[in-house]
Order: sequence, then structure tokens, then C-alpha cells
Amino acid sequence: MKGLRLVYMGSVLCFLYIPIFILVLFSFNKATFSTDWEGFSLQWYTKLFQNQDLLEVTLNSLWLAISSASLSTVFSAVLAILFFRFRLPAQSFLKGTLYSLLMAPDLVLGISLLILFLAIGLDLGYLSLLIAHITFCIPFCFLTIAARMQSFDPSILEAALDLGASQFQTYTRILFPILKPALLSAWMLAFTLSMDDVIVSFFVSGPSYEVLPLKIYSMVRFGVKPEVNALCSLLLLMTLVLLFLSHRLINSKEVR
Amino acid sequence: MKVFLCFIFLLLSPTLFCERLVIFNWTEYLPSEVIRDFEKETGIEVKLSSYESNEAMYTKLKILRSKGYDLVIPSTYFVEKMIKEGMLQKLDHEKLPNIRHLLPRLTGLPFDVKNDFSMPYLWGTTVLSYNSEKIKETPDSWKVLWKSDYKNQVLVLEDMRETFSIALKSLGYSSNSSSPTEIREAYDKLLKLKENVRLFSSEAPKQAFINQEVTLGMTMSGDLKVIQEENPGIAAIYPKEGFTIWLDSMVIPKGASNPQAAHRFINYVLRPEVSLKIALELGYSTVNKESLNLKAAAQMKENPLMNPSEEVLQRGEFLTDVGRSLLVYEDLWQRLKVE
Amino acid sequence: MKRLEGKFNSFLYAVCALWLFGFVALPFLAVLAISFLSRGYSDFVEPVFTIQNYLQIFDFVYLKVFLSSTYLALLTSLLCILVAYPFAYFLARSNERAQAIGLALVMIPFWTSSLIRSYALIAILKTNGFLNQLLIKLGLIDSPLSILYTDWAVMIGMVYTLLPFAILPIFSSVQGLSKNLLEASQDLGATAFQSFQRVILPLTSPGVMGAFLLTFFPALGLFFIPDLLGGAKTLVLGAAIRDQFLMNRNWPLGSALSVLLTLGMFLLLAFNSWVKKRVQAPEEEGAF
Repeated sequence: MKGLRLVYMGSVLCFLYIPIFILVLFSFNKATFSTDWEGFSLQWYTKLFQNQDLLEVTLNSLWLAISSASLSTVFSAVLAILFFRFRLPAQSFLKGTLYSLLMAPDLVLGISLLILFLAIGLDLGYLSLLIAHITFCIPFCFLTIAARMQSFDPSILEAALDLGASQFQTYTRILFPILKPALLSAWMLAFTLSMDDVIVSFFVSGPSYEVLPLKIYSMVRFGVKPEVNALCSLLLLMTLVLLFLSHRLINSKEVR
Repeated sequence: MKVFLCFIFLLLSPTLFCERLVIFNWTEYLPSEVIRDFEKETGIEVKLSSYESNEAMYTKLKILRSKGYDLVIPSTYFVEKMIKEGMLQKLDHEKLPNIRHLLPRLTGLPFDVKNDFSMPYLWGTTVLSYNSEKIKETPDSWKVLWKSDYKNQVLVLEDMRETFSIALKSLGYSSNSSSPTEIREAYDKLLKLKENVRLFSSEAPKQAFINQEVTLGMTMSGDLKVIQEENPGIAAIYPKEGFTIWLDSMVIPKGASNPQAAHRFINYVLRPEVSLKIALELGYSTVNKESLNLKAAAQMKENPLMNPSEEVLQRGEFLTDVGRSLLVYEDLWQRLKVE
Repeated sequence: MKRLEGKFNSFLYAVCALWLFGFVALPFLAVLAISFLSRGYSDFVEPVFTIQNYLQIFDFVYLKVFLSSTYLALLTSLLCILVAYPFAYFLARSNERAQAIGLALVMIPFWTSSLIRSYALIAILKTNGFLNQLLIKLGLIDSPLSILYTDWAVMIGMVYTLLPFAILPIFSSVQGLSKNLLEASQDLGATAFQSFQRVILPLTSPGVMGAFLLTFFPALGLFFIPDLLGGAKTLVLGAAIRDQFLMNRNWPLGSALSVLLTLGMFLLLAFNSWVKKRVQAPEEEGAF
């Protein structure tokens, strides 16, 4: 019985990993189009690094991910703290909005923002992308941080206020250090969501600020190209590194 | 971390500070060699975005309110539409001395009589390609696509007007029909064709033929060049009922941020040797009358796909703007995709 | 809990509320509004009120899109759940170390771009791709199967992309089961199968429901998978909506489709809450 379990789990894992394995393997293949192995080569990786356009787009995506992750983490942290401390006016409406945002298909989000931007006359570019990315990251960050807050005792903040601290100080000196691991998780989550987003970016991006997933999407529609394999492999590597880092950071913080 | 960022900044700084030209073009429709030569000669950095269909291009431009791109390359019937809707800016012919090289029959066309808004880029035809190893008898008509022998083996372009055109032509109508009854008839025919269609695509037809995912179908004349390099068994014919001749032109959207660079690029492309290079590389037909006289054009002149005879061209038809009946086409095209 | 106090706090709250209203609620209201307007010829929308868009959806053609997309999404979800459940179950019952490893292995695809993973499938599914080559080498088939550009490829692509999303919720709900439950039911004479059917399955239904929700809706909206693997013959709801906005310029129709999609989502979520309540209520009544 145990054997069967292992076989089953092993096959599922194989199913999940074999395509990725092949993708990475063939990024090192000398041949362009064929599925036969024709020798090891790093040419596609060197070609990648010579591609100015691709490098620029990657940097665009990185900067967008960093800025939207940071802003969305701050926003969510503030919201989580406020929800945690107080009974807020119109809070059920806000909670409802957050929940719908979490569940809403990216597609609807993308088109609704496109309509909004067009209506208010905002040109599609970095700003439109930033607003969109911050917005779709908020519910995920909020949940991550709110979960951490469950185990926190609000009376500490009251005590600090009684002792003369300002609201701002209680946030920066007491809450922030305690929430650090949750903030980091939320940031990493938002960063990854932003880097990988295709659907929302599809609708709200403009030629002045191109992002990587859309570039890959247009390259990928052609069929299989080793250069794309190389690019994808590097991105996979980056994801792994990030996952590993976040795991270490969170675990090390938990140990007190 | 700081060192890394500085390094990246230095790597990109040449691109950050130089002049830019943002081009919106069909996918793989501009050889990278031409871009590099242009960049080297002028120092202007070229950024390329691509689209798969005129409709997608038009919608994107409408969303961007004609801003964001400096140069776009639509087909004739969309140039017509965009001129009518005020989306383009007038070209300064004084900046384009190379106009004199253009083939006379490609200038002064009805949709832009004085070429105030557009300059020809490349022209070609839509032909019927087939795998001569699998199909022994040479086809001569679009009707062959409908044969029940070819279930799931046909490739059709992801292009509303072009695909409707083969149905209209096979019924004996004009590709520019604005009669709802005729369009509906074409739609019914296409519905039947769908049983044979494996794939709707304008971007991947080359791969589909090379990998033998399809046996026959519509292709652009230039696609054959790439296809035949990898799989010489693929051939093409000009169907007897007719086919589309299309012309893609360079236009400058009203809100372009760098029209000067766009003009320079247009003039550059109008040079006979550059025009020829583009045509040869992509497999399409040159718009330049001098190009045909250049030495490198020798092989091209013999190729009926790149240089079709007058006789053949008689059977071809340009696509024009169909005005409001475009909505009829669009509605039926969506229905076709769904049924 | 006290009421909101402090100028600084009120300011922060106002900013948050405004953002959520302006970039979430308002845009959606705009979509709703547009779904009742008419399409324009050279503009996207003409300010003429109409319910034509909704009527058009109930017209056979678009209903077909809805139905076939829903069918595809349902199948995808079902397949994901069928494959995920045993996996999640076995994983949750293994020792801590195996759990940690297993979870990490499942999380990695979860975090990777689904676009990249769908792309990875193309090389495998195409006519001269790896799968066909393997099958021919093993002598299982004579000529290559055309999988790519068919509904099957789309389904495989969807299941491949969404499987981790199904595993995680089921895993967490199985993990939450008390070990005593199984023992108790066995002591009471139930067979393994009966224990499973009557005890485990109902108690893990929130997890299954979660897996369903996390796979069903994406399956409706992920248009790039049919785009890459489906040859544009399979029109998924997501692709239909995208086409209305970015190709056909029929924004009112696209908006109407989006509104219906969102409505459907809310209905399912409401159903989910109802199921949850039914599962938790008997527990709270002190059965165990």
C-alpha cells in the first residue's frame, strides 16, 4: 500500500516537472527547431544577454514588481492594522470589496481598469500598470498580514499611547518590527504576482512601458524557440531563488 | 546590490539617452538586419511592437488615442479607415525624396490618392499552399479546401477579411462585398469549412506547415520562403477564382512622439537596396521599381510568388474599406469562431 | 473594539477607502454601465441605452460560448480534483519531513509563471514532439497523434497549470482532520471505504470546494492557454471577452459577458459559504 502511494505521488510530481525539465534541458540544445539533442551549447543564453530590448523589458518588469509590491504591502499593512484596531465606518463594504477583488477573475479586473483609465484620460504606461498591479496584489498582501495579526495583543499599542507615544510612533516602533515576517511574505507574494501577471497587464499596458510576460507571450505564440527556453529557464531560476530566500527569511525570523 | 544596479544602468545608458523610434508592425515583418543598419546609420534606437491582425492594431491604436507609436504598417483597407477617422498625420513629402523610386501602380491608389498619409512598404498576395507530397493532383481553386478528404488538415488565416474573401471568391462574389446577403452566404460556407480547419493562425502558419500539422491552406505569399527552406515539399498556387492582393503601407499616427524619426525611417526603407533586402528576406514583393533592376533581384524576378505576372495579377483583388458593413463581418466572424 | 480615532488614522483610512472605491468598485460599476450601452462604429461605446447585449448573449451563439467554456472548466476542475485528492491525502498523512518536501515540490510550480509552464507543453504535445516520439518508440501508436491545437491539448494545459491550485486547499483540509476520527470510525466497525465515504469525504468537502473554486474560475478566464495550445478553434469565455475588447471593439457585449461571469462567480461563492456552514454546523453541535 505504501508503495502504491509513493508511485502515485511520484507520477503526479513527474507530470508536473517533466515539461519544465525538458524546457530547461533544451535551452542548452545546439539545434534551433528540432527536438533532437544536438549538443550542449550556451549560445541561446549569450544571445539573450545581447538582446537590448529584452533586457530593457526585464528591467521594466523588475522595477514595476518592486514598486507595486512595496506600495501594496504598505497599503495592506495599514488597512490590516486599522481593521484590527478599530471598528471602522463602512467596514463591511470595504471588506466585501477586498473579498471580491481576491476572487475576481484577472480578466474582469483588467478590462474594468482599462475602461476607467480611458474614461479619465490616463495614458497607458507605467502609471496605469502600477495602479493595476498594486490593486490586484492588495487582497493577497492583506490576508497574509491580517493572518499574522491574529496572534497580536492590541493592548500593547494602547499602553504605548498612554505612555505618550504618537500614533505614528506606535506603528513604526512597535507594530512594524513584530509584523516584519508577514510584511516580507506579503512583499514576496506581491512581487511574484506582479512579475508573472499576463492577463491584467495585457489590457492596461502601453508601448511606453513594456513588460516581460507580455513579451514572452508574443514570442511564445510563434512556437518553440530555444532563446525563449533560455529566458524561461532563467525566470524559473529566479523564482526558485526567491522562494528559497523567503523561506529562509521567514524561518529565521520566527526563531526567537 | 548597488554595484549590480549601476552595472545594469551603464549597460542600458546608451539606450536611455538616445533618440527613439517606436514601430508597430506585423510580427516578423521587418528584418533585424535592416533595423540594425538603420540604427547604425542614424543613431536612432528602434523599438518594435507587433500585432497579428489589422483589427488588433486598429483597436490598440484607438485605445491609445493614436499615441505611443511613431510608425505603423496597416493594410490598405485599414489605412482608408484610419484616414477617414483622423487617426493619421500628413506625411511631409519633402522629407521623403526616395518616393521617386516607387512603382507607379502602387502610388496614388484610391484610398490615399496623393499619398498624403501613407507610403507603400511591401505588397504580396494570399495564396493556397499545399503539401505536394500528400496531395498528388495540383489544386487550382479555393474550393479544394472544402473537400471532405481534408478533415482537420486545413490552415486558415486569423484574418477576418482574408478568410471571408476566400469564401466570397469561391461563391463568385467580390472580396469587398458590402451586401449582407452575400456576406451571410460566405459565412455559411465558412461554417462548413470549419470542419476541415485544424488551426486559425496568422503567426504560426510557417510552423504548422513545416511540422506537418496541416496539409493545405491559406498562406501569405512570403510565408512560402521560410516554409520551403525547411520543407521543400510545400507548394503554392494562385486559385482561378481570384485571390487578394494586399499592400501594407507605412503611416504615422496623429499622436506620434517622434514623427521626424519616422520620416527618416520611411525614406530609408524606400531606398531600392533596402526595399529589395526586405522583400528578399521576407519572401514578399518589393514596392520599388529600381529594386527589380538590382543584381540581387535576379532570382526574385523568376519566382512567381515574389514577382507574379500581369496575367496572374488580373485575377487578384485589393481589399478596400467596406464601411459600416464591417460590423456585419465582425459579428459573423465572432459567430464563426464560436460555432 | 473602539471606534476609529486619531486624525492620522482617519487620514490613512480615507486613503485606503478611496483607493478601493476608485480602482475596484468604480471600474466595475463602469463595466456594468457599459454593458447597457450600444457599440459604436468608430468609437468604442455609443451612449444609447439598450439591453440588446444581454439578449445577444442568450442568443444561441454566445450561450454556446458560455456553455462550452463552463463545460471545459468543469471538466478541468473535476480532473484536477480527482488527481489532486489522493495526492493531497497521501501527503497529509505522511511524516513531517515528507510533507515539507512534498509541499515545497508542489509550491514551486504554483509560484512559477503559468505562461512559461503552458509553453513547456508545446514542445511535448506537438506532432513531432516528445510525447509522440515516446509513444512511437514504445510502439504504442503507429503514426503521431495530433494533440496540439485540439481541445485535448487545452484541457491538458489547463489541468497542468491548475493542479497545484487544487492540491493545496485539499491538503490543508485533510491536515486539519483529527487522527482520532479515523480510529474512532474503525473502532466502530467501519471498513476503510466506509470511513472514507462517510467521515473523511464530508469533512474535507470545504477543501474540495476550495480546490474547485481555485480551478474553475481560472479555467474560464485563462485565455492564453487555449491561445497557445488550442489553435484558436476553442473559444473560451476569457478569449471571447478579450476579443470583444481588443479586436471586435464591441465593448458593451464584452462588458455584459464580464458582468455575467462575475455574477456567476458570486453565486458560486455564496453556494460555497452555504456548504461550509452545513459542514461546520453539525461539528459545532458537539457531535464529536
